[in-house]
Amino acid sequence: MGAIIKKEIKTYFLSPIGYIFIGLFLAMCSVFFYLDVFYYQSVQFENMFYSLATILTFIIPILTMRIFSEERKTGTEQLLYTSPISITKIVLGKFFSAVIVMIIAEICTLVYFIILTFFGTPHIQTAIITLLGFTLLSMSYIAFGVFASSITENQIIAGVVTISFFIISWFLPNFNSQFSTISLINMFNKFPAGLIAIEEIAIYTTFSVLCILLTIIVLQRKKSIK
Amino acid sequence: MIKVKNVTKKYGNFIAIDNINFEIKEGEIIGFLGPNGAGKTTTMNMITGFIEPTQGEITINGYDIVKKAKIAKKQIGYMPEGIPLYYELTVKEFITYMADLKMVDKKIKKEQIEKVIEELNLNEVKNKLIKNLSRGYKQRVSMAGALIGRPKVLVLDEPTVGLDPKQITEIRSLIKDLGKNHTIILSSHILSEVSQICEKVIIINKGKIIAIDTPQNLENKAKKENCIIVTAEDPENKIEKITNQIEGVKNIYLIKDNEDGTKQYSITSEEKQDIRKKIFEKYAKEKITIFELKKAETTLEDAFMKLIKVNKEEGGNK
Repeated sequence: MGAIIKKEIKTYFLSPIGYIFIGLFLAMCSVFFYLDVFYYQSVQFENMFYSLATILTFIIPILTMRIFSEERKTGTEQLLYTSPISITKIVLGKFFSAVIVMIIAEICTLVYFIILTFFGTPHIQTAIITLLGFTLLSMSYIAFGVFASSITENQIIAGVVTISFFIISWFLPNFNSQFSTISLINMFNKFPAGLIAIEEIAIYTTFSVLCILLTIIVLQRKKSIK
Repeated sequence: MIKVKNVTKKYGNFIAIDNINFEIKEGEIIGFLGPNGAGKTTTMNMITGFIEPTQGEITINGYDIVKKAKIAKKQIGYMPEGIPLYYELTVKEFITYMADLKMVDKKIKKEQIEKVIEELNLNEVKNKLIKNLSRGYKQRVSMAGALIGRPKVLVLDEPTVGLDPKQITEIRSLIKDLGKNHTIILSSHILSEVSQICEKVIIINKGKIIAIDTPQNLENKAKKENCIIVTAEDPENKIEKITNQIEGVKNIYLIKDNEDGTKQYSITSEEKQDIRKKIFEKYAKEKITIFELKKAETTLEDAFMKLIKVNKEEGGNK
């Protein structure tokens, strides 16, 4: 699995994808840092994450859409699946490599935290809890993106499926409040309030595991019907 | 070493591979021959564990490729059709990644990578990006990926396609060299290649094995009738009539009219009868000058065409 993670991260930063992702993320961070924190002359670092969570909808597919579809299109999947490494490890390796890139981007946001320390004392615990929640939300988004990439050899389709799913899950509660329990993005709101929400953590984790399992099943099944 | 038992592969209702059986012993070089769409790649994909058979089992060195995938796959090096590579990596990075994927022991990894680079003459391009390499180099990089970790079995899907003649000879002699201590399965359209490299040929058509034999035996089987090529000067146009008078001749027909006034004929005779002497004597008597008299050689090509044809006719009768 280590080999896959290493290679995938290398690929992110050998191609422009990694830089585009982190660059875009940080650019949006700056915008929301100004709009949600600086503008109100507050030192609440966590405030910008409410808006950043919505941005994930559009930038997570940058990380995930090529993850399996490109391998299938170029045929390199043959090298992967004929190696002694199991499909489970391949999927986990690819998933964690995307999560690591996301975490790198999150670590960069600490710069804004440091800036705030010059103006007051931002709450470090809330910041950590927010980042934890943000990582969990990203993980479930990435897991879905990985799954979407495994079902098609066309990156664009994988990307569009991913974005559509995020948007649907985001706006469903507006139509019927019953859906609020499955809206991944709304669940995030508790974290910037400084709460370690066990229920939400459980849902994010379960959702990620479910998507990973589905990906493994899809790829395993492709072996017998391909 | 490799056992393929009652293997069938279906895609919906379409039967791609129909109940094939064969066994490959250690150290053998086996050639897979067949027209396009015969099922060569499908069979190779099943042997390497890329796809699973619908029925039947494949064992590598006693390990089932589906049930004991990890151990079985460790013993195989696969060079897939169409040379898929990671274009964003350099040659060395790619080979290192393949070594990691194949779980090559860390202690010997470095030395193995160097050795493979050396063997395939990749030294001058080892730090270049794969996407900038020529087709011949890409092919060799792909081969290096298959060779790393010294797997006992090498599966090469059309290893010489798209190479120039010099590279083809190089790759062929490399395969022959590797055959000394590896079991090799290779597929090819090129019959002369297979008869040069392989000790045994498996001819496959429409998902069925239609022959497993040595190239020589296949050629011999195709050589049922003696065929003689004769070039002679025949101003009176009596050669056909005269030849038919010779005992043992079954058929004669004109191949071509040469510009120098000679004509080339093909003469077939009864099985296992050499009629060249008789022809020579008869023609001399009739004052026909022979410019050339030779036995036509049957090639693997003939054997292949014949087998495919027989297979087709059988299929048509059903």
